[in-house]
Formats: sequence, structure tokens, C-alpha cells
Amino acid sequence: MSRPGFVLTVDERTPPLLMHSGESFKLQQFPLGTRVVYPPESLPGLPDLDEAIEHALLQPLDSEPLPALLRAGMKLTIAFDDLSLPLPPMKKPDIRQRILEHVLQHAADAGVDDVELIVATALHRRMTAAEIKAVVGERVFRSFWPDLLYNFDAEDRANLAHLGTTDTGEDVEISKRAAESDLLVYVNVNLVAMDGGWKSTAIGLASYNSLRHHHNAHTMIHSRSFMDPRHSELHSSAWRMGRLINEHVKVFQIETTLNNDAFPSQYGFLTKREWEWSLKDQALFIGAKHGLDILPAKQRRKIFQSMEAPYAVTGVNAGAVEPVHHATLEKVHQQQLVEVNGQTDVLVMGLPYLCPYNVNSVMNPILAACLGLGYLFNMYRGKPLVREGGVLIIDHPVPWEFSTLHHPSYVDFFDEVLAESTDPKVIGPKFEQQYATDPWYTHLYRTSHAYHGVHPFYMWYWCAHALDHLGQVIWVGGDRRAVARMGMRTASTFADALELARDTVGSSPTITYQHAPPHILSDVR
Amino acid sequence: MIDCQPMAKRRIGESLAGKRVLLTGATGFVGEALLERFLFDLPSTPIVLLIRARGMLTAEDRALKLLSNPAFTRVRERDGDDLSGLLANGHITVLEGDLDVVPELPDDLDVVIHCAGEVSFDPPIDEGFATNVHGTLNLLEAIDASRSRPHYVHVSTAYVAGRQQGHIREGRLDHNVDWRTEAELATAVRRQIELDSRSPEQLATFSVEAANQHGVTGASSISVEAEKLRRDWVANKLVEAGRERGRSLGWTDCYTFTKAMAERAVEETTGHLPLTILRPSIIESSLAQPYPGWIEGFKMAEPIILAYGRGDLPEFPGIPDGVVDIIPVDLVVNATLAAAAHLPEPGSPRYYTICSGARNPLRFGLLYELVREYFVEHPMVQRDRGEVRVPQWNWPGTARIAQLIKLGERTQRAADKVVTSLPRSNRTRSWAQSLDRQRGRLDFLRRYFDLYQPYTEAELHFTDSNTLALHEAMHPEDQERFGFDASVIDWRYYLQDVHVPAVVEPLTALTALRGPRPNPTRTVAQGSHAGSGAGEIVAVFDMDGTLLPSNVVVSYLWLRLPELGLPAKAREVSEVARALPRWLATEKKDRSAFLRMVYRRYEGAKLADLDRIVDETITSTMLEKLSANAVRAIREHRTAGHRLVLVTGAVTPLTRPLAPLFDEIVTAELAVDADGRCTGLLERPPLVGESRASWLRHRAQEMGWDLANSYAYADSTSDLPLLRAVGNPVVIDPDVVLSRVARKERWPVELWHTGTGTSRKLPQVAPVLERVQ
Repeated sequence: MSRPGFVLTVDERTPPLLMHSGESFKLQQFPLGTRVVYPPESLPGLPDLDEAIEHALLQPLDSEPLPALLRAGMKLTIAFDDLSLPLPPMKKPDIRQRILEHVLQHAADAGVDDVELIVATALHRRMTAAEIKAVVGERVFRSFWPDLLYNFDAEDRANLAHLGTTDTGEDVEISKRAAESDLLVYVNVNLVAMDGGWKSTAIGLASYNSLRHHHNAHTMIHSRSFMDPRHSELHSSAWRMGRLINEHVKVFQIETTLNNDAFPSQYGFLTKREWEWSLKDQALFIGAKHGLDILPAKQRRKIFQSMEAPYAVTGVNAGAVEPVHHATLEKVHQQQLVEVNGQTDVLVMGLPYLCPYNVNSVMNPILAACLGLGYLFNMYRGKPLVREGGVLIIDHPVPWEFSTLHHPSYVDFFDEVLAESTDPKVIGPKFEQQYATDPWYTHLYRTSHAYHGVHPFYMWYWCAHALDHLGQVIWVGGDRRAVARMGMRTASTFADALELARDTVGSSPTITYQHAPPHILSDVR
Repeated sequence: MIDCQPMAKRRIGESLAGKRVLLTGATGFVGEALLERFLFDLPSTPIVLLIRARGMLTAEDRALKLLSNPAFTRVRERDGDDLSGLLANGHITVLEGDLDVVPELPDDLDVVIHCAGEVSFDPPIDEGFATNVHGTLNLLEAIDASRSRPHYVHVSTAYVAGRQQGHIREGRLDHNVDWRTEAELATAVRRQIELDSRSPEQLATFSVEAANQHGVTGASSISVEAEKLRRDWVANKLVEAGRERGRSLGWTDCYTFTKAMAERAVEETTGHLPLTILRPSIIESSLAQPYPGWIEGFKMAEPIILAYGRGDLPEFPGIPDGVVDIIPVDLVVNATLAAAAHLPEPGSPRYYTICSGARNPLRFGLLYELVREYFVEHPMVQRDRGEVRVPQWNWPGTARIAQLIKLGERTQRAADKVVTSLPRSNRTRSWAQSLDRQRGRLDFLRRYFDLYQPYTEAELHFTDSNTLALHEAMHPEDQERFGFDASVIDWRYYLQDVHVPAVVEPLTALTALRGPRPNPTRTVAQGSHAGSGAGEIVAVFDMDGTLLPSNVVVSYLWLRLPELGLPAKAREVSEVARALPRWLATEKKDRSAFLRMVYRRYEGAKLADLDRIVDETITSTMLEKLSANAVRAIREHRTAGHRLVLVTGAVTPLTRPLAPLFDEIVTAELAVDADGRCTGLLERPPLVGESRASWLRHRAQEMGWDLANSYAYADSTSDLPLLRAVGNPVVIDPDVVLSRVARKERWPVELWHTGTGTSRKLPQVAPVLERVQ
């Protein structure tokens, strides 16, 4: 049986603890009394995945079984999550491939021949053919690519449908093909609690016109947190939009949950508790750490980016969006939720090499900020793990490095926008429109593999809640110029960071280390 | 005529009162000081000035400008700020003209003081003679043509004595050189050297050197450079001719040589006039009048003092106990006035050496100590580098210094050769820059070493008994007011409180005023004059090396390899590798030929396939390498409403990914046969080097572009003509040669590929994260 997550208090016997730091990791000694939040151990996977998938499709929640929804002559669209999920990418076969094959088999059996598959990229970059093939598998790829299996294009005006506005005046504009289908099947990978539900269709298949209503500083400050859909303004908006979509097209949602096996076996020590490391684990750590440190940056990145997670699937649920998502969240919480008593003055985290937006690419400073202040900071339910006015210490090198292929507008955002203001509420009104409609960014988004021009703004809005809540953010080992550009501070070592933190939280603060990844959702009481 | 009464009986003021004095060289150092003394101390002596018009300024304008100089402050304080009345009331008469064409002179001149002359030590030989010898003769002829029979006072130099040793007496120089022959041949030398410079062998040398420097740019740049080299060569040869002729006859340089010839010419042609020849030594800033430390421009010792103060003079040729014969300018002026008032008999000229060495010698060692003490106490501050530490001289001797300079020059040349052939990078550019700085320093050392070596070595010992006698004969009050006894000079006071501060302080003030000189930066002007009729502004970009860190060979491989099988790939790569040295050698000489060689290899490829390969595989590679700064610059121009033009020697398919950024793209177009296969030839010559500039000019005329306000971005020396064709050139990651040009022309240099993306300036930081409570 897998053990639940727990909170360790550092005492004399506690060894140095593992910490991620970009394309490396380290062992960090913590002051006595530091609380360390450990995730629950991996749940066991489903014993027979095919059977579980079939079961979900044939006995869906609040819906007729899939075969009953399929008929010859109908228009069927299947959308699925893009390469931002899961992280790291899953060892083949990807769960989406397994599900797509089942769904397509049912469609074939029913004689449906108008089928299109859309990668729900929203404003993310187009996936390359190879990346799509890795997700959908050889068979599906061969049968549908490129005309019937393609990336969503949020700038293709002719192929967007405006479905109306919600009660609060939000435009709902999504893929025309999806909106005009007789059935829209959505295949999701629900890695964390923010994923899935109406977010899949209302965001994954939407245009800028629609996204701007909730992807902004105001919404993000009021999403507390966006990892807790019931208290997330972002999710409320997506739910309003989803219900409007539901009036136009029948949505059959298939959601999947994964366990915490995020790293391949040779990196098994990353998911083990340090005092339980075997000799082999210790040897592997030393080998990996030193091996990586002496490698040239390019090789090191290659090794990390080629990592595939041996995730096991813990749940497959299908049917109507809302009951399905309810079941999904239960599974996610079972895997990730840890009870923590009370907030802390100083929250410590180490950022790994990967976030949703740098698969096969570079984690630039904006993405690093988004991963720390956006994703990991928001991994809470109830109250933030760190108190209001507290300090966040993040370990990451924050290299001043950008991929001009994937993140062209980020480069300009960093040099032009952040140089003027780091306040999400200020930069939005002043610069967002210009970046969102820039013809060169749009050209690159549509024809190359670039994130949409407006995307760096979204990354920065993701940080809005944390920026609003925290008293200080200190990056350990970060590039000074890059961190200063973001309006934050750097420290050479963890000890120096604690020293700097004293200005804000005094000389004997409470410290909590969030021992992630794998993911932890702190339930703060 | 001035009478010859003994001085003691008549005061200088009385002797010169009412006498009309012609002064040449009034805009020069000694001339200006003389004029000031006439106006201040001898107000009843009317003055005639011979001044040359210059540019837009007439002689009179220049005279007025002269009177507003700091030297005349006390005159203005006494007589009122507007001294133009002196011209209006005839107290000063300005004659416009120079020594080449001396105007008609007044008939009532009583004294002529000739202090105009060539001041440079190393003028071209013909110019040295023209000014110092022919100019003087022209003046004397003009005097003879008038009815004046004045006292002719000729200002020469103590160093006409040449490289003699021991005591130099005041009197006619002891030599038999025929000045007429020397003067005639000096004029002929120019013609000879001009002829030599045009010999086929010599011209070929210039062309080869020019081609080495500008080969990649194109033929007309080479010819412009070659002609420049020829002219420089002629100028150098003429200087060399003057110096060597002077030295061969026993003088230190062309200056003293021609001055000596002038003395002889004067002696031989003025038998009918009272003649005085004054021989001052090294004239420096004034001791007391018009105020202590007055100096105009840089004289002989100032560059050395400043170089020492800047720490640029590690050693000096000379011996510590050698004598530096310095004389403050006001002593020279006083002696000149006394001599002018003291009339010799026609045919028996008087000679006065005005120097300090005879009775109050300043030794090199003491000069060095005093100057050093000054700088230790008042160090110069170098921009951004703090106070300078002045070097300590060990007097290693001339031979050793010569050796050191030679070694330095040789090392410098070798290092320069290495640096210019290294691949471009920040490091090579900064190496090149420090080499240039070092070369500047070495050039300075070499120049002053060559120039001063004879002076510092010459163990001349001037005597000044005539001058002393003249001084002794003066009325005691005049001795007070017009004294010129060098033995009164306190060298410590003169150097540390007067002279060195006078030289250093204005410069320090100027540096402080100017502050650090900022690097030129690129600014994109808004608007394109739309509708104003001034023409559209364009921004021209080069591709390889500028927008992308790529080159034709690499992009050729990108394009060709994807469609080949593995063995064919290996074959292709190895063939290209083998051809590379030949290609690169060609590129150095002729970029167009190089491109054709590379493009021949496209033979047989289908153009449509190349387009497809670019779209499918190369676009991502190119966009990954495309400089973010380049894109930003392009977008700035787009926002400003400028027309964007891409000019490249790359083949058309390779520009496809960048097409949306530009309004117009000019490429090398591959010729195709009926099946759409490349023939390996081009549709038209590739646009490289000068042809880019001529294409741009042609197109600008056609389209009405405003090139003077347009922009060009390029990275290599071959793009110089393109960069020069527009008003706002910007240099991107330049090679060493181009970075040198950019520094000289003060063109902005940007690092789009080798830098970290932005400058080393601290990042602009928006307000630090502050929580609103």
C-alpha cells in the first residue's frame, strides 16, 4: 500500500534533503524545525487499463454510453490535451493514444466516417508532427495526419465560431469544427487539480477573444487558488463558458488521472524519502548529479528533455463534464493532497527543469517565474502555504536564455514590458493588446512553432496572486540581471536567502519546504 | 630712422614712440605676445600687421578675433572691451596677404619684426623652404619695393647651430651651404617624388596593399584606397627628404635647416638695412606677462609633459645632466623689443641668442623631477580609470629606447596580423581595440623619439653675451619692465606653479566638462516623411551574419543534406570540406566569385524541392537562430513606417522564413532549366560589396527613397559601401576591420549574436516587488 503524504519536522537526524534546481538537483541542509511537506507515495495503477477505458465509455457518468451517441453520417470531433500534459511526457503508449484507439474503434463500428482530431493547443505552440505522433501513436497518426488530425489554430478566423456571451458578458469563441459537431469527445490528462472539466473545451479550443476574459490579472488575483476550482475565478469563468458550449454541442468528456511516478527508474531517488535511500539510490544520485554537472548545457538539456515518466493511470472517467470532473478531482486529491497545519513565514521550493511550456525547449526566466509563483505557489487548498507578507525562496539558476523559435514574444516581453513594470495590473492594459495582435507573432504562431504573442502576459498573470500575496521573493543561484528584471532578488546560497528574508519576516521565521515534484496539493488548515 | 644712441640714455618707449612697426606672424605664439606688449606698454607705436585671410574670415576679421583672445585681457581691461577702435583709428593697420604674395607695403615703416614661419619640425621639404626661405625673401623684396628702409628684426632659432657640440657663440653661422641651390632643389624634389610615386612598380605596391585591406569590397574601393596610399606616401617622402637633407648637412631636422638657410639668405640680401637676428631657444609659456602661464596652443614640450602625466611615456631618450634650453615667451618678447629699439649699422648685423642654458641651465634630470613632483601632487584623472600613476624614468639611454620601440612596433604588427585573421568575437574585437590603443601610444613614442632625439642628445651650450650686454645697457626701469635676464628664473616656481599647470589645467577642465564620451547608439527616427515629399526612409538589412549567425556554406549544407541518403550525405560533406580552403581564399579576394563557386553545387537540385525543404525543416532552424534583437530592430522600423529591405547574397529559398518581415527582398536567384532544376548558375550577378550600394542608389532614385535618412545593418567589411550609402549605418557583430572603421566613424555597433542579448548595462528595473498592504 502506498503511504500518505506527511509533514516532516527537521531534527538532528534529518539528512540533507533533495532539491530540484533547473537542469540539476542538490542536497540541501535545512534549519532545525523546518517543516518539509512530502507528497503521498504513488498510488497503484489500474490493473487492466483497456478494461477500465471500456468500462468508462460503456458506463459513463450522467450520459448515454458512447456507442449510443455514435451513428453513421454524424460529424464527430475528438479533441485532446497538447504536450503541456503530462509532465514529464509519458512513456509510450500515452494514455491519450489508448483512449483514442478505443473511441475510434467505437466510431468505426458505428460507421462514423466524418471524424477529425484536434490538438487543443489554444494559444500554445503548434506541436510538431513527431510530437503529435508520440501522443496519438503510430496507427492513429498514419490514418489521420495531417488533414484530419491537426493543431487548433486560434487565429484562423474562418474556422472559429462565436457561440454568444455568458451572463457576465464573456465572449465564447471556440473551434468551429468542434462547435458544429454532433458530438465532441474530449480526451484529457488530469495531472493537477486545475486541469480538466470545462477548462478542457472552453479554454483548450478557444481564441484570444474568449480567453482574455479570464486570462488577466484581475481574475488571477481572485483565483485562490487556481488549483482549487471551487475557489478559482478562472474556473468559474470557464464553467460559465462551458455551460454555454454545452447548449450548442454535446460534449463527451473522458478524463484520466495519473499516479506520482514522474521519473524513470534510474532517477527513482527523486521520489523517495531521503532517509530511506538505499546504497544504490545514493550511488545513482552521486552519479547523476556529478555526471550532469560536468556535461555541456546542450547535452544536459537533451538528457532532461528526453526523460519519459513511467506514469501509471489511476482512473478513467467518462461522460458529462461536471460529474466526470468531480470523480477526477477525487482521484487527484487522493494522490496529491497533504494536510498541513498552519501557514509558514518562509516557503522554500526547488524548481525542476520542466514546466508546461518548455517541453523540448528552454525554461526562460518568465517560465521559471510562472512555475514557481504561478503553479507551485498555487498548489494549495484553503490558505496559501506561506502567510500573507511572507517570503518565497526559490532555487533555480534562471538563465537569461530564450528560445526564439518557441518563445519569440517572450524575448520582447522581457526586454520591453518588464523593464517598464512588473505589475500585472499595469502591463495588461498598456501592452497586452499590442502583443496579442502583432502580425509577426501571429505569423509565427500559425506557421511555425511559437507560442502566441500574448502568452508571456498570461504567464505573468499566473504569478499575480503570489506577487500580490508575498512580501519578498528570493531566487537562490539565479542570474542576477534576469531576476532583477523581474523585480525580485537573488542570493548565492540558501543561507544568504534566509539572511535576506530576515528583513521581511524577522530573525526566527517558520520555514516550510515544499518537497516537489512530484506534485503536492497542500491542504492548509 | 631710429637713432643709435646708447640705450641707457633712451628708454625703449621713447625709442619706439611714433615709429611704425610691421609685425608678421601676429597670429602665432611670439607674434601675439609681441602685439600685446606693443598695445599695452608701447601705446604710441603704430602697428602694421600682415595677416592672411582664412576661409570666410578676412584679415581684419582675424585681427579682431585675435584681439579678443585671453592674451589681451589686460589691454581690454584698461582700454575698454571693444578694441576694434584701434583698427578704425589707424593705430593698427591690417594688410591682407601672406608670405607667398606679400602685398604692397607702406613707405613709412621703421621696424619690421618677422616672426612668421613654419613651426612644424618636420614639414615637407618644399613647404619648409617655401615658408622659411622664400617667404622671408618675398618680404624683403616687398620692403625693397617700398620706400621704407626699416630696421629688419629677424626671429630665428637658437638651434640653427645644428648638431654641433660645445659653446655656440652669437654670430654668423659657420657653414658653406649654398642656400640658393638648396632652395631650388627642394622645390624640384616634390616633382621627383610625385613622379616616383607614379612608377608602375610603386603603383602596383599601393594596389596590392589596398586590395589586401579592401579586396572584399570591390574594385572601386581598392582604387580609392590605393590613391590615398599614394598621396600619403608622397607626403612621407617629402618629410623624409627634408629631415635627411637637414641631417646630412649637420642640422637636426628640416625646421632648423631651413631656418639656417633663411638666416644666410637674409644676411646676403639685406646689406643696405640695419639687421638684427634673434635666436630664441625653446619658447614656452610666459613667466609674468601678459600673465603667468599664458600659452597659446601646444609647443614643443607640452605633448611630452601631457603624455608623461597620462602615464604614456615610460622612458625618454636623453641624459639626466643634459640641458633643456627653455625660455619663457615674455623674455623673448622683451628681448625682441629691446633689440628693435637698438639700431645696428646697415651691413653689420647683430645677433642675440635668447636662452636660459648659458647662465641658468635647466637639466633634464631636474626638469623630470619637477614635472614628476607636480604630477604626483596633482595627478591627472583618466576618464573612468581614476588617477594616473606617472612612470619613473631610469634614463636607459637612447639606443636602448630605440630598441624597445622597435621591438614594440614589431610585436604590435605581428599581433595585429593575428587578430585581423581571427574569427570575429567580442574578444577579438576588444583585442583589436587594445592593440589600436597600444599602436597609438607607440606611434606617439616613435614620432617624438625621432623628432626630439637630436635635441636631447645635442650637447649644445649657447652663449648669450650679446643679449646680456643688451640687457645691461637698458635703463634700470626698463630692466624691470622689459627684462630678459634668464638667470632670474626659478625653475621650480616656473615649472610647478606656472608652466605645467598652464598646460594641464585647461585640458583637465575640458575633460571634466565633456564627461565620458558615450558610445554611439542606434535610434530609429519615427515617421517616414510621408507626404512631405522628402522620400520614403528605408532600412536595409543584410542576412548572413547580421540577422542570423549563418553563412552561405552552412546554409548550403542545410539545404542539400536533407534529401540525400547517408552515403551521399557523407560524400557531400567531405567534398565541401575539401573545397573549403579554396572557397575561403577566393572569398578574401572576390566575394562574388566565391558565391558562384558555392552555388555551382546546387546544379541538378529541383528549386521546388529546395523551397519545400526550407519550409519543412530549415524554417525552425533559422527561426531558432534568428536574433531577437534583429527582429526587434526590424519591428521598430516597421512601427516607424519605414520600408524594410533585405539584401542578401543567399539563394531565394533561404529567405522564405523571413519574407513576412520585409517589404522587398533581393537575393541570389538560381537559374533553372525547363524541368525546374537548378543549372548551378545565377539569373544575375549576386549582390555583394559595391554592387549592393549601387543597387541601393539606383533603386532609391527609381523609388524616391531618402537615403540620407535611411538605415543599413550589416556585419562585414564587404558591406562598407552599403553602409556608407545611407545616413544611419549600424554595424552588427563586426569583423575586426569593420569594427575599426565603425569606431573611427562613430557608427553604432550592436552585438546581436555574440552578446548575451543585451548590453552590460544594469537591467532597467521596474519598481521592486512591493506589497500593497
